[in-house]
Amino acid sequence: MIARSVGAVFWFESRRALTASRIVWWVVLTLFPALIVGMIRIATSNIRNPPGPEPWSVFLFALVPMLVSMLGTFLWATPVVSAELEGKSWVYLAVRPHGTTVVLLGKYLATLAWVLSSAIASLMLAAALVPLDDVGHIVGTILRLTLLSCPAYAALYLLLGTLFPKRSMVVAVAYTLIFELVVSMIPALINTFTVQFRLRTLFYLWSDLPLGSDPNAMLAFVGEPPAWEHVVVLVTFTMVLLLAALGIVREREFSASEEGNG
Amino acid sequence: MIQLTSVTKLYGTVIGVNDMTLDLSAGAYGLLGPNGSGKTTLLSLLTGQLVPTIGRIRVLGESPRNNAELFRRLGYCPGSEGLYANVSAIEWVQYLCQLQGLNSSDARRAAEAALATVGMTAAMHRPIATYSRGMRQRVKLAQAIAHDPELLILDEPFNGLDPIGRREMGELLKNWIANGKNLLLASHLLYEVETITDRFLLINGGRLLASGTAAEVQALLVDAPNEITLRTTELHRLASLLVEREITDSLRIADHAVVLSTRHPGQLYEQLPQWLSESQIAVTEMHSADESLQALFNSLLKIHRGEVL
Repeated sequence: MIARSVGAVFWFESRRALTASRIVWWVVLTLFPALIVGMIRIATSNIRNPPGPEPWSVFLFALVPMLVSMLGTFLWATPVVSAELEGKSWVYLAVRPHGTTVVLLGKYLATLAWVLSSAIASLMLAAALVPLDDVGHIVGTILRLTLLSCPAYAALYLLLGTLFPKRSMVVAVAYTLIFELVVSMIPALINTFTVQFRLRTLFYLWSDLPLGSDPNAMLAFVGEPPAWEHVVVLVTFTMVLLLAALGIVREREFSASEEGNG
Repeated sequence: MIQLTSVTKLYGTVIGVNDMTLDLSAGAYGLLGPNGSGKTTLLSLLTGQLVPTIGRIRVLGESPRNNAELFRRLGYCPGSEGLYANVSAIEWVQYLCQLQGLNSSDARRAAEAALATVGMTAAMHRPIATYSRGMRQRVKLAQAIAHDPELLILDEPFNGLDPIGRREMGELLKNWIANGKNLLLASHLLYEVETITDRFLLINGGRLLASGTAAEVQALLVDAPNEITLRTTELHRLASLLVEREITDSLRIADHAVVLSTRHPGQLYEQLPQWLSESQIAVTEMHSADESLQALFNSLLKIHRGEVL
């Protein structure tokens, strides 16, 4: 019964999102990587040593599993609870059997459907503009990373949205800037707790990129093999974040006092 | 149907519900209280959205917090609007029925039936954003009754309805009760509730001041002073007459009217026409300030504090 209710939320939310503004966002996110890749290609078309597979891999990694996945899930997953609370529609969902749980899971799946479709389409469009003969290997690597990054970031932003429903977007931006962009680059134990660090490590391991002239310095910023260990950590990370969000939304009292005047 | 045992709800240092104990058997009840009296907090506790700081709550024999079994038997229409603007009424009510556990086709049928019950069939395919406030109120009621709950809890359901809509809503709720279903109806307007049910819970400041039928509540007020205003051109003769009959506790002349306070309003209402007739005094207007709900609560509050012996 819970699965059926989750499916109902997924379809309802996916249909409800078919608004002009959401579709424009989807199109912008989808076209942005191709636009950047196209501009880089034009800018480098006349230089003597055009970028090889490694720079193009880095560009696609930065644009798709990082930018599109992160921005897409941020916009979709962060306001999941706050939008319902601000719209005062939360109470209608909360008084249904397992209501809060199925709403959160259904919205999580809707987030994945919208953002993954955008990220995969953007990867295909951008890859089509990469001037390399064998772009398939790069696309395969980036696709695997996208399939890991979207669920992880969606779970992360969903948790932040349930923890801080009143300032969810501000908190999510601050978290992203501080932890995912700054702390993830600190060569210490703390960076291993970020999604960014795991994705970066997997990118290096799966892309067979050279570690440069100083491998030890590079290994401070990326983890060590094996790759499967990082995949397991990332999947576990996703599950834990999702379960934490479900636990919070089930146990927390979202104030209803402002909903009535009595 | 509903049991509360010493229930208190605190928001930090602010008291939402204050040491409330009650045991309601199956039936229909009006929850009456002025704005800010704690009605919505009490309903939030009964629907499991809030957890009591102290005490125990049972609704249909079950704890309401995260209770899927209870939510299948409960219909709730909150006071706030909270409807999605860009979906139609049929989509929204069907969606909420699906969350009740119905499959898509059963949910569709239940939603259509509920919207027909509240008179929204003709407009149910239009986006909710195009509805009037009264129409949105009907849609809110439809989502609460669509899954045929045992207990219907409504928070200010008459808000935004025009006189015809209020009458139709009243008829609908009376039919609901006539079909043997349970109802708890919160309102700050006495006349709205008394057309539906004669059993009341009166709360103010988060406290339950009184409960029972209108007659039982009236019995509580029998010794409470009742303020009555009489307008006449012969103010001093009327004042003199009332003092002679020893019916008033206090009396004053103000704003071209005699304002009296009495513990025996029934006796006054019964005998006043005869006294006026005998004395040839014409009274052009008579009203009791204590007919307002706030005045009723003020009287109950005085009894609650022991100010009326």
